[in-house]
Amino acid sequence: MKIDVRGEICPYPLKRTLEALDRLAPGEELEVLTDHPPSLEMIRITASQRGYAMRVEDAGPAEWRIILFKREGTPT
Amino acid sequence: MSLRAQYQTRLGLALIVGAGLVLLQLSRGDSAYGVFGGLGLAVGFVMQRSRFCFTAAFRDLFMMKSGRNMKGVIIGMAIATVGFGLIMANLLPNAALGAVAPEAHVNPFGLHLLLGGILFGIGMVAAGGCTSGSLYRMGEGYAASWVAFAGILGGLGIASHTWNWWWTTSIRFAPIVWFPQALGYGGATLMTLAALLGAYLVVLWIESGAPPATIEVARRPAELGFVPRARDLYATVFERGWSAITGGVLLGMINVFLYTAHMPWRIVGEYARWANGLLTVVGLGPGRLLGTEQLAGCALRSGGGLITHGLLLNVGLFGGALTSALLSHEFKLRFSRNKVRYVQSMGGGLLMGYGAGLAMGCTVGAFFSAIPSLGLNGWIFGLALAGGAYLGTYLLRYLP
Repeated sequence: MKIDVRGEICPYPLKRTLEALDRLAPGEELEVLTDHPPSLEMIRITASQRGYAMRVEDAGPAEWRIILFKREGTPT
Repeated sequence: MSLRAQYQTRLGLALIVGAGLVLLQLSRGDSAYGVFGGLGLAVGFVMQRSRFCFTAAFRDLFMMKSGRNMKGVIIGMAIATVGFGLIMANLLPNAALGAVAPEAHVNPFGLHLLLGGILFGIGMVAAGGCTSGSLYRMGEGYAASWVAFAGILGGLGIASHTWNWWWTTSIRFAPIVWFPQALGYGGATLMTLAALLGAYLVVLWIESGAPPATIEVARRPAELGFVPRARDLYATVFERGWSAITGGVLLGMINVFLYTAHMPWRIVGEYARWANGLLTVVGLGPGRLLGTEQLAGCALRSGGGLITHGLLLNVGLFGGALTSALLSHEFKLRFSRNKVRYVQSMGGGLLMGYGAGLAMGCTVGAFFSAIPSLGLNGWIFGLALAGGAYLGTYLLRYLP
């Protein structure tokens, strides 16, 4: 699944991400496009509490693509 | 709208040179101008790099049991508490005589402070940033933060027009409690530090209710030559974000420097002057604000000269955040596609402005600089802010 939360300020990037994680099919990855730097840290922490790891890719100047995937060894 | 990385670096470096030249020129008239402009730049830089956020400090405790920002806030206040205690003991050696140290952010407490804090707390959560947070996000390029800024000025204008009613019916009779009068500077400092430790433990207790987070920290190679080490330093400062604790420590120290130079860190007293200046130009000035000459910190103001320490501090904060965002390639003009956000920012700004008018300060002047001033008012405003942020977080669920 892909969501685009560019232009959104706290807490919306995190809120939309958590809502999307709830709708994610087993094994599916979530791609979050954001331009809000604080979300990089907040999403990493909160997603890890739900058993997700993430990697961040640059998606242009001041834009990042966050890819969230289920960590190995955690039940889906 | 984005700007390519290499242009962001060049523009950031040009801003540093430009700001330096302007400050040197201003300092020829009054050396404190350079100090306040420069420290303002430092505040903006630190806030942007550490993503320091008073709104998140309160909101995230309720929303996801995260104390990241609140821990930074508490540590910053603890550092300022020691520094302010020493400065005030120099300014007013005998605290038992009944006076309060000059420029300390000690004001009357009462219903106005509770209501102001609750309104401010709701407003900052609705707008996604308080006064200082909106100011540094204006520098990062968030359009909604400019709307919040306009709302704050509007709220301060409205507060100025209702001030005399508040003053005559309530604030005039409200008590002032300044701990050094009864406990001396040592006792008041120790008691405030103990209370801050207590607050920190409450944050830990809230955090302990959250599910465990497991985050792998990327390891950096241990052995590096000089050039890679210098590059690593650059990356630590400009590319990797700083922790909120780093931000809090630095902001606490800067606050001590500011008070050493003249006055603690404050924001909205100057905003009120801007709002009332604009209102006066269009013939809607608030007239005389009763009693404000005997109040400290960010009590509503009107009139005065153009260039003040407060103006340099605020403009510096904005410029420092803009420079920091450019050098870390995080500057971008950001427009929300959801129009409700702009209504939230305007409404939140109005609530913050009115609340800060009643409370004689914001998260900075009536809280971050008030608790270290060793008065009771900072604590009461802080509790009211927490209540307002809780309400705001609850209300946020019903917005799209």
